[in-house]
Amino acid sequence: MPEVTLVEAINLALARAMTEDPTVLVLGEDVGVNGGVFRATVGLQQRFGADRVIDTPLAELLISGLCVGMAAQGLCPVGEIQFMGFLYPCIDQLVNHASRLRNRTQGKLSCPMVLRTPHGGGIRAPEHHSEATEAMLAHIPGLRVVVASSPERAYGLLLAAIRDPDPVIFLEPTRIYRAVKGEVEDNGEALPLDVAFILREGRDVTLISWGALVKETLAAAQELAADGIAAEVIDLATLKPYDAETVLASVAKTGRCVIIHEAARTGGFGAEIAALLAERGLLNLLAPVKRVTGYDTVMPLPRLEQAYLPSVARITAAAREVCQFG
Amino acid sequence: MLKRASSEETLPVIAHFEVHRRAYLAPDGTVLRQPPDFAADTDLLISFYRAMVLARTFDLKAVSLQRTGRLGTYAVSLGQEAAAVGIASAMRPEDVLLPSYRDNGALIWRGVKLEDILTYWGGDERGSRSSGPVHDFPYCIPVASQAPHAAGVAYAFKFKKEPRVAVCLFGDGATSKGDLWEAMNFAGVHKLPVVFVANNNQWAISVPLKLQTAAQTLAQKSIAAGFYGEQVDGNDVIAVRAAAEEAMTAARAGQGPRFIEALTYRLSDHTTADDAARYRPPEEVQARWREEPIARLRAYLVSKQAWGKSQEEELVADCQRQVDAAVERYLATTPRPPETMFDHLYAELPTAYIGQREEVAGASHA
Amino acid sequence: MRQFTLPDLGEGLEEAEIVSWHVNEGDHVVADQPLVSVETDKAVVEVPSPWSGRIAHLFGGKGDLIKVGAPLVEFAQSAGEDTGTVVGELGREEVKGAAAQRAAEPTPARTIAVLPAVRALARKLDVDLNLVQASGPGGTITRADVERAARSLAEVGPGEPLRGMRRAMAQRMAAAHSEVVRTTVTEEADINDWRKGEDPTIRLVRAIAAACKQQPSLNAWYNSAAGERRLIGRIDLGIAVDIEGGLIVPVLRNIGERDAHDLRAGLDRMRADAAARSIPPEELRGATITLSNFGMIGGRFANLVIVPPQVAIVGAGRIDDRVMAIAGQGAVRRVLPLSLTFDHRVVTGGEGARFLVALKTDLEQAS
Repeated sequence: MPEVTLVEAINLALARAMTEDPTVLVLGEDVGVNGGVFRATVGLQQRFGADRVIDTPLAELLISGLCVGMAAQGLCPVGEIQFMGFLYPCIDQLVNHASRLRNRTQGKLSCPMVLRTPHGGGIRAPEHHSEATEAMLAHIPGLRVVVASSPERAYGLLLAAIRDPDPVIFLEPTRIYRAVKGEVEDNGEALPLDVAFILREGRDVTLISWGALVKETLAAAQELAADGIAAEVIDLATLKPYDAETVLASVAKTGRCVIIHEAARTGGFGAEIAALLAERGLLNLLAPVKRVTGYDTVMPLPRLEQAYLPSVARITAAAREVCQFG
Repeated sequence: MLKRASSEETLPVIAHFEVHRRAYLAPDGTVLRQPPDFAADTDLLISFYRAMVLARTFDLKAVSLQRTGRLGTYAVSLGQEAAAVGIASAMRPEDVLLPSYRDNGALIWRGVKLEDILTYWGGDERGSRSSGPVHDFPYCIPVASQAPHAAGVAYAFKFKKEPRVAVCLFGDGATSKGDLWEAMNFAGVHKLPVVFVANNNQWAISVPLKLQTAAQTLAQKSIAAGFYGEQVDGNDVIAVRAAAEEAMTAARAGQGPRFIEALTYRLSDHTTADDAARYRPPEEVQARWREEPIARLRAYLVSKQAWGKSQEEELVADCQRQVDAAVERYLATTPRPPETMFDHLYAELPTAYIGQREEVAGASHA
Repeated sequence: MRQFTLPDLGEGLEEAEIVSWHVNEGDHVVADQPLVSVETDKAVVEVPSPWSGRIAHLFGGKGDLIKVGAPLVEFAQSAGEDTGTVVGELGREEVKGAAAQRAAEPTPARTIAVLPAVRALARKLDVDLNLVQASGPGGTITRADVERAARSLAEVGPGEPLRGMRRAMAQRMAAAHSEVVRTTVTEEADINDWRKGEDPTIRLVRAIAAACKQQPSLNAWYNSAAGERRLIGRIDLGIAVDIEGGLIVPVLRNIGERDAHDLRAGLDRMRADAAARSIPPEELRGATITLSNFGMIGGRFANLVIVPPQVAIVGAGRIDDRVMAIAGQGAVRRVLPLSLTFDHRVVTGGEGARFLVALKTDLEQAS
């Protein structure tokens, strides 16, 4: 099986979807001739034509609004926002329209669109190019929010997102676009949405993460194992709606939970998991629930970036701390 | 200020613009210029007239319902009936309408039932689904945000090679929003089959046109996006219909988007909760009443001996009957069970939310 | 009431015929809303409302002729109300916003720190968390701690809840201990000169009565909450009696004024009742000073427990032969060890010592 990077897996999934379904369109800035600034859409315009792979004007609001209109007319638009930092003009279209078109027309119209965007920091980029504000989107009823963490899951989940009849925001961690490789068979098989993936089993502590930090979380689990701490690693993958049952079952087994995300701490999506555990998993807890997250600061510029991002060391320290309890 | 001072150095002109204004009937119903051929079809004109009177009758009844606590906040379209009917009448059933929230005349023409309109403004989502063309968009509240949808819909038509047109209705306030510009710009680049219609009623709540834009017309904004725009007298339904037909024909033929500025006047408050007397003098409104569209068309029809007192009485009574019947049906509806708020949230309610749905259902039946 | 008259419709027309009303009496109308269609010679004309308001009265009906300038519509007087919004309705109820309260002093945390799953384990193993020693971080109890406690408890046997007298004693002693400032002084009374068969208890009762008369401050009640001391004239002596199952302290009333015979009879009755457990509750209350004759079992001196509101307790140890110094020579004498524990909050050292001396002096008198 071929080994591809995450961004190559995205490209494969897009091509596969566009081959299978002639209503799938790709639109965004620089996605056509240039193949996308990260080459996620490379080769697509050459294969499928400029009417299916559209170089839009510089207008993020437009990209998301076009998707709504196209989707209402039965097309399957996959819009790209070049960086999550530029997603914010789309909030109006996502919150006021995409998320609720089906509901406010009672099913007469619906919105099967996907909006893809690079997520998170760690690539030494200038300001505004390192955003991780998934919690904001996961709050909106009617949306789906999915975060890729590996080439295999990127391929399978993007296919699922494109085929899903409702709007999906698909976040692609920039710093693992090329830094991870995985075996991906281009067989058109989607992975399930709304489901968390247990990447490593363990009995002592549950480590929950998504996006680029899944890599660090797995590395932390490896380190902990050498010290006799068996960590269970869960990739939440779909943040909205998320797989509460898998989380609860795991913490029922281990009694301890550490949640890891690079987004800022307060109101980050880890808070939702912690609330879930307090509400429905409290009696199984041997230790306080801990979150290892970015800080409540603006994401710093590259010089301090690594101090902000959760590291393997911070994850193992938190895991060891909670393992002292109980 | 579109010109530089004459004392400054003379530079060659590389682009001009001109904006046409279309009007056939003066406010008193007399003819300004030869109307187009279809205006000779008095039956057609009467169909416009009937639709406009029905729209106004409905509007006023809605206000009365709101005042008596039986309808929520309602946006009145008083004075703008010709713009709505003229545009909608030029559309084909397979075209897609993307309205704002002050276009009931167009919705009614397109077959949306009066009681469904009441149901929506009465606060029940069922009003948005039951009648009218299946592909038309619902009301749009965030101003101008439907413009990118219109561009997307038009792109889909072009992509699917369907000879259909997207018609986007909005107000003067919307022309200040980026959403509209982004949509027009894209439509121009891709020559999309979309007609942008600005109902310029000259007021955005309390903000008058002169604070909304420094441009002499709204029509000229399409020039910046690279396509043709014209201004019409929005209270002259013949002019509106003519402009709409021309624009839609061109768009349908692949000639790209069009912009119509229907210049009219908002004779009512912004909504039933607004009090326009706070910011505009009643004398101004009084004066504008003399230009209103229904009296104008009536005067023209009367002058053509195509309309008279008994027909007027009959129409007024008939409209009242229709509206009353719709009100009765609306008032007879009962609210849905609360758990239906989970319906149509997604194609299939995710398992994550089934518990909540049951919680609401349990509480409501407790 | 505001009246709207038929406006001038132009072209020199003086009157018009009402074709149809568009509003009803009682309706609210907005400014410029069409009120009525009237017909002139030329056409049917709509007359708009000049202002917003409620229609009180319509003048004329369909077919009536109205002259220009004649009343057409009467409006009800109403104060224009600013809705203060452009959508929806803003409630106008007068509800005072709640003033923010200063955060209350944080209540001290429970002294047992245990996480939910460990608590559940303790419940399952029937382990009282109060008996578990915590070894986890931050003083939390771990599962291992609970399991260890379960094992110890299994070896030790089941706990027996304190009931009845033992329970009362536990509670009373704890209360006393937390309040009273105990000070104990001791002495030995040389009772060699007592006649054979003398009852030590009677002698002690007499001696206490004598000492109380000398030092009334030890026959008192102290209400620490009110900071009040009550010197009591009558001496009601509580006599600690050890019975099976615990300790009771029946009260021998008014020992200061009863003769020896009477006291003897009272004591005998008391002893019999105690053995039969038939002492009525009121006989156990109200002691002003207590005697503990623990020497009947064993022991010489003791630091006894004073039960508030009393302020003193006399302890009599086991009577024994002791070698004493008499006139510079060693001699074997019969000795009764004495302990006096008093509450130093209200009894001075001098008072206590003098009471003890008075006790000893009375006891040493020949019988």
